[in-house]
Amino acid sequence: MSGGISFDSVSHTYRPARGRAVLALDRVSLAVREREFLALLGPSGCGKSTLLYLLGGFMPVETGRISVGGEPVTGPGPDRGIVFQNFALFPWKTVKQNILYGLEKQKLPRPEREKRAQEFIDLVHLTGFEDSYPSQLSGGMKQRVAIARTLAIDPAILLMDEPFGALDAQTRGLMHEELLGIMEHRPKTVVFVTHDVREAVYLADRVAVMSARPGRIKEIVEIGHNGRPAPEVVKSSEFIDKVDYLWDSVRKEALLAQSQKSDG
Amino acid sequence: MAGMSDASVLVRGLRRNALMLALVIAWEVAARLHITTDFLLPAFSTVMRRLALDVGSGQLPLALAYTLYRALAGFAIAGLSGVAIGILVARVKVARWFFDPLVSVGLPMPKIAFLPVFVLWFGVFDESKILMVAFSAIFPVIVEAAAATESVDRILIWSARGLGTSERRLLWEIALPAAFPQIMTGLQVALPISLIVAVLTEMAMGGEGLGGTMMQSMRFADSPGVFAGIIAIAVAGSALVKGMEIIRRRLLVWHAEAEAA
Amino acid sequence: MSALKRYFPILLLGLLWEIAPRLHLIDPESVPPLSTVAVAWWNLLRSGDLASNGLSSLQNLVAGLALGVVVGTALGVLMAWYKPLDELVHPVVRALYPMPKSALIPVMILWLGLGSASKIASIFIGCLLPVVLSAYNGARGVDRVLVWSALAAGATRRAVLWEVVVPSALPEILAGTRNALALSFILLVSSEFVIGQRGLGYLISFLGEGGAYDAMFAGVLTVATVGFLADRIYLAIMRRALAWRE
Repeated sequence: MSGGISFDSVSHTYRPARGRAVLALDRVSLAVREREFLALLGPSGCGKSTLLYLLGGFMPVETGRISVGGEPVTGPGPDRGIVFQNFALFPWKTVKQNILYGLEKQKLPRPEREKRAQEFIDLVHLTGFEDSYPSQLSGGMKQRVAIARTLAIDPAILLMDEPFGALDAQTRGLMHEELLGIMEHRPKTVVFVTHDVREAVYLADRVAVMSARPGRIKEIVEIGHNGRPAPEVVKSSEFIDKVDYLWDSVRKEALLAQSQKSDG
Repeated sequence: MAGMSDASVLVRGLRRNALMLALVIAWEVAARLHITTDFLLPAFSTVMRRLALDVGSGQLPLALAYTLYRALAGFAIAGLSGVAIGILVARVKVARWFFDPLVSVGLPMPKIAFLPVFVLWFGVFDESKILMVAFSAIFPVIVEAAAATESVDRILIWSARGLGTSERRLLWEIALPAAFPQIMTGLQVALPISLIVAVLTEMAMGGEGLGGTMMQSMRFADSPGVFAGIIAIAVAGSALVKGMEIIRRRLLVWHAEAEAA
Repeated sequence: MSALKRYFPILLLGLLWEIAPRLHLIDPESVPPLSTVAVAWWNLLRSGDLASNGLSSLQNLVAGLALGVVVGTALGVLMAWYKPLDELVHPVVRALYPMPKSALIPVMILWLGLGSASKIASIFIGCLLPVVLSAYNGARGVDRVLVWSALAAGATRRAVLWEVVVPSALPEILAGTRNALALSFILLVSSEFVIGQRGLGYLISFLGEGGAYDAMFAGVLTVATVGFLADRIYLAIMRRALAWRE
């Protein structure tokens, strides 16, 4: 598994400045195949974002081991691009400047940088908005910039933290197609965190369900798309069954999480 | 952290103020070793001793009293008239038309530049100093009072009106209490300004206040006196600010509870 | 045009200032008619007094303010970025904050004598803490996903400080600098009153002591106007710099 990701018994404890320490992840072990689209599904607070951040290298791995292509993760890097729910665009930079940022870090020569930036602006259908500021864009447009910015540096792995959570249902649907289209051209390993079951089943090759806190991998379900899913697949009985099954699985965990909260 | 022993509290306090303590110790050591002259930086112990002396002799309390008198008198004038004008500006169109440009121009101006004008008009004694303080401190009070009165929850007013409250009672019993927190904030900004300006006028004009005695010390190259003065002013400033916070908390007990709810 | 409408009451006051002393409604000794003030201003300008003192004031103001803003911003941002520095310096800052910095003018005179150096030092010290605090708050408030996005794009931690933290903190830093600007004028004028020698503050008190009241008023209005304009110009620049915010 040359480019794959592996989580070995990863645990993580949140230590807030005030209050008790909380075990967020409990010995999570998981393998992600190269070029696979894996969805991490679970109720809020189950630690799926935490797992993503650990993989991204933004937080240190205290217990256990995360490896990418056999090498342990020690910090953030351009091999693992990340897209956040609230877009995380640099508000003082234009669309083009945002996308150029990573390319500048790659130390590409100027004409090359400009070309690639334009390429990705066109790819996400934002031609004409190069000099707009994020404050002038809609949510969907901002997320497209965020995706373009991350893809422009061509990371082998794409980390997505509920990237379409802040968008309305219509826009979300459009973004799904946009993402799948991009994946067709330049396939990558994708780890996609979401709490939306249908989104997970539609986009992913495999769906990993996480338990309520402390997070563990409860089960993994193969979705088995053959190539890019067609939009009509959501009406197929296979799709509906899988969604029902996962819904139920997640619901059980969500109820558990709910009772945790009332216990305090 | 169960069972916080006295020792651990002490250690935490020491760690938090480590730099401060280090600086004070370095100050004392440097002075003792005569690294700097006594003139430039008298020893911390010397300054403390001088402070104790001045307090004991009654000299410091007297100077402090003068300064506080001027600062607080000016503050009172600024506070009362500022709030009145602010409320007026928010409710009476003509008042707003008249005061808005004055306040917006006056706010960023260095009002201390008007000191010679006040001296010309009111002489060199307390009156000019007090009015200078008032003139400097009134602007933030007006701004906050006007903003507060304006932003009083319309729903509140409409409900009260709906219940048949008269306009005057409306003002006193509904609008003012609701505006009070923000008005208080304006006063809290005005208080340190009052102290600073009082000290500044004394430094420029002389007299028996802390500013004046500090300048005297400086002229006589009496550096312990100058440093003692600084510490006295710093302590007075902190005490006033803290006092204001306590008053605010007492008066706004209901507000804090409402905010928490 | 709307500006004219807004500031109309000031024009009315100006008119009053001219008429009332002339009609002896106010004592013209204490309040010279506006026109005589204007004439006196013109004479000050022609004689070069306004220019030379104005230049001295300007130099000291810019020096003290620039120093305060640069050092203060650097200190505030570094404190927000490096925890050990924060733990060390923050208690000192919090202790020194409530002290009226104007009280340090005599100390500056003690250390640096009666001249530009003590004026600049007084302005510097007065502006420093407000800038430190706003830079600190601005830098602390940086959204961590921005920092993480930059790191994931391949930036080093030091690059992130410059390229993400500082721009993100810019709105707060600019707001703090606006306060520092107002403070610097106050400290400039007060230190010129106390220290004398040169400068518009010195000029004003000199004229007042000499009984040249119309010229004194001219000086006071000049300083007040410059202070006001500086704030307005700064506001315009600030809005330009933050145009991306919408």
